[in-house]
Amino acid sequence: MALPRIGSADMTIDQVAARLKGEIAELDDVRIQVPDTVVCRVDPATLKDVAHRVRDIEGCGYEMLNFIAAVDRGDKLEAVYHLYSFVSNSYLELHVGLPRGKAEVDTVSDVWPAADWHEREAWDMMGIKFLGHPDLRRILLRDDFVGHPLRKDYADLVENHPYA
Amino acid sequence: MPSVFDTPAPDAALQLALDRVKRSEEEGRGSDMEGLAFNQVVVNMGPQHPSTHGVLRLVVTLDGELIKDVIPVIGYLHRCKEKLAERRTYYQYIPIVDRTEYLASMNCEWGYVLTVEKLAGIEPTRRVEFIRVIMAELMRIASHQVAVGTFTADLSPLGTAMAFYTFRDRELILDLLEEASGARMMFNYFRFGGVRYDLPDGWVEKCHALMGKMPKLIDEYEALVKNNAVFLSRCLGKGVITQEDVAEYGITGPNARASGVAYDLRRTRPYSVYPELDFRVCLAEHGDVYDRYQVRIDEMRESVKIVLQCLDMLPDGPVQVGSLRAPYVITPPPGECYVGQENPRGEYGTYIVSDGSRYPYRLKYRDPCFCNLQIFPKLLRGTKIADAVAISGSMDMVLGGIDR
Repeated sequence: MALPRIGSADMTIDQVAARLKGEIAELDDVRIQVPDTVVCRVDPATLKDVAHRVRDIEGCGYEMLNFIAAVDRGDKLEAVYHLYSFVSNSYLELHVGLPRGKAEVDTVSDVWPAADWHEREAWDMMGIKFLGHPDLRRILLRDDFVGHPLRKDYADLVENHPYA
Repeated sequence: MPSVFDTPAPDAALQLALDRVKRSEEEGRGSDMEGLAFNQVVVNMGPQHPSTHGVLRLVVTLDGELIKDVIPVIGYLHRCKEKLAERRTYYQYIPIVDRTEYLASMNCEWGYVLTVEKLAGIEPTRRVEFIRVIMAELMRIASHQVAVGTFTADLSPLGTAMAFYTFRDRELILDLLEEASGARMMFNYFRFGGVRYDLPDGWVEKCHALMGKMPKLIDEYEALVKNNAVFLSRCLGKGVITQEDVAEYGITGPNARASGVAYDLRRTRPYSVYPELDFRVCLAEHGDVYDRYQVRIDEMRESVKIVLQCLDMLPDGPVQVGSLRAPYVITPPPGECYVGQENPRGEYGTYIVSDGSRYPYRLKYRDPCFCNLQIFPKLLRGTKIADAVAISGSMDMVLGGIDR
């Protein structure tokens, strides 16, 4: 299957945002970041459903997962899904806030296979658990590493370093 | 007491591969498939292996020469770059960005500087924009020269000759970059709203002369391999990436364009002065190893054109907005943004969250190689082990970027 020509839908970013708001009611707090990004908030419980629908929307489907960034917001952890739509040539950021003590969210690696490694990285660095992920191992740090170093409360303890 | 002569326990990736072999053995028991898994051998390719171009490790399950399964293992070059950002000022962090994708340092610096400039609302001067495009495109040529040279060197002794040619010419470009920035590979050249030094006297003429010569040199590379039967038989139709794969796995850069996806941020999300420049987005249609090589060769030619245009259009003016001290004390207002930029290997972007202090609150890279590498198991399954080398060479990995 060939991908649609980039930007062939010829929509402005306002039209894209209006379209998204109209089609998917679960997107909260929809904002536009100039020039070409729509930013919104999604409840973790509905993420999987939203992901499927966002990918398959007629006319501006977000077929490509660009990356997942995990951010420590203090009271919560946040997973930021950055998506790209070929047909409307626009980006979509889904911000999913997760409680610190129970940072769990459904995997989207069956929606976009690219999510596989990005989710592993978010687990490795920030300790966000992706439920249903096929192989949630550490990816950049060694297997026996203790803790999730990009959390702001991470303490680098000597006893965590077996080789020190 | 463990001794050095004990066989070390397998790590997680190796154990995973062994488990999969065991499972396929058990599944085959008592059926027509019985004994088929018996011949499977698990081999560690890397992290020290000449054709993995860095410390990439592939845990490969082989059945004779056929690859049954691949598990890439990364992280051997992890240097905590995202954590380092949180303890350094924006300005102090520039040289660290150099060391992510070390074959394209200029482009990486630009990616980071672009994001901070957008956060802080800084507009560089026009002369700066042109200097940046020149540096980035020179770097793109140099980076593709390494990519094409090492890729062909993996294929055959003939290709080793090619690597000599490309590395010879890359040095000419690095000389130019060194003269402008003071360093050969780790430039530390970009500043917020400017560049570190103006171009030295006579640099424009030198660059002009080299770019005039460059198309001929690129012809030379092509002449070496273009009609070579061995080269073609190892490239044509191997490791095909479809357009669907491009979207599913988030593949960008020449690897995506070789499959006919015109995703080039210089055109789809234009930044700097690229809209004013005349160049073509190089595409191919099959997405095989040969097309990925061809797209890189074509892109080198386009980059030469871009540099020549910029040299002609280069305006006069300051190379830093505001005072010379301006880039040292930068405090972007609270907020966050992501800016992607077209690196030689694909979309290289930085996502920065600012809390209004002098330090980035969170910095995250979107590295093209990290995303491109994910498709490896899919590409390699069912191919011969010798093709694995050709395919991984054609994907052009830089482990410094993957592991960060």
